[in-house]
Amino acid sequence: MIQSVDVKKKYLTSRILCYRGECNVEEKVEQAYLYDFYGELLNEHQRRIYEDFIFQDLSLGEIASCEGISRQGVHDLIKRCNKLLAGYEAKLHLVKKFLDARQKVEKIHFLIKEFKESQNEALIEEIEQISNRMIEEL
Amino acid sequence: MAVKIRLRRLGQKKAPFYRIVVADSRSPRDGKCIEEIGTYDPTRDPSEYHVNEELAKKWLANGAQPTETVNRIFKATGIVK
Repeated sequence: MIQSVDVKKKYLTSRILCYRGECNVEEKVEQAYLYDFYGELLNEHQRRIYEDFIFQDLSLGEIASCEGISRQGVHDLIKRCNKLLAGYEAKLHLVKKFLDARQKVEKIHFLIKEFKESQNEALIEEIEQISNRMIEEL
Repeated sequence: MAVKIRLRRLGQKKAPFYRIVVADSRSPRDGKCIEEIGTYDPTRDPSEYHVNEELAKKWLANGAQPTETVNRIFKATGIVK
C-alpha cells in the first residue's frame, strides 16, 4: 500500500547553519542546496566527506571508518563545511535568489494556465508585474 | 548482515530528489541498494513523501536500521511512532 503525506515545507533562510547532531530532513535539503551552489569552493577532501553525509545519508561513524579518521574528525569537518557554506550564502544569497525566482516562475506558469482557461486579461497584468519585479531584483 | 535504510540523493543540481533505499551498511559507498522503498521530493510545495509501508515495515521487522533522517520521514508518515 502506498501512503503519501504532505508535510509543510520550510523555506530556506540564510541563517547560519550549525550541525547540532540532530538530522532534520529539511536541514539536509537545505545543506544540499548550499552544497549545489557553493560546493566547488570546498576542497576535494571536504567535498568527498560532505557528499557522503548529504547525498548518501551516511552516519558520522560510517564516514569515519571509510576514511580512516575519527568520528570526531568527521563531525568537526562537517560542522566547518556547514559554517563555510552558510557564510557564502550570507554574503552572496544565491540560494535565496534562486528559490525566490523559482517560486515566481511557478506562479507565472500557474497564471498562464489560468489565462488559457479563462482568457481573463487581469491575469496578464499580474504576470507582467511579477516579471517586472523579477527584473528589478536581478 | 547489517542493513540500513537511508536517503539517497538523485536529481540534478539545484533540483534535489531523494529515494529511500535499503542498503548494506558494510560497504556504504558502493552505491548498491537492496531495495527501494520510497521517494521524497522537496521541490514540491508542500514536499512530498511516498513510502511503501508494507516494505518499510517488513525491513524494520527484519532489523534494518533507519538513519535519523529516514526515521523522521517514517514518523511523518506514521510508520513508526
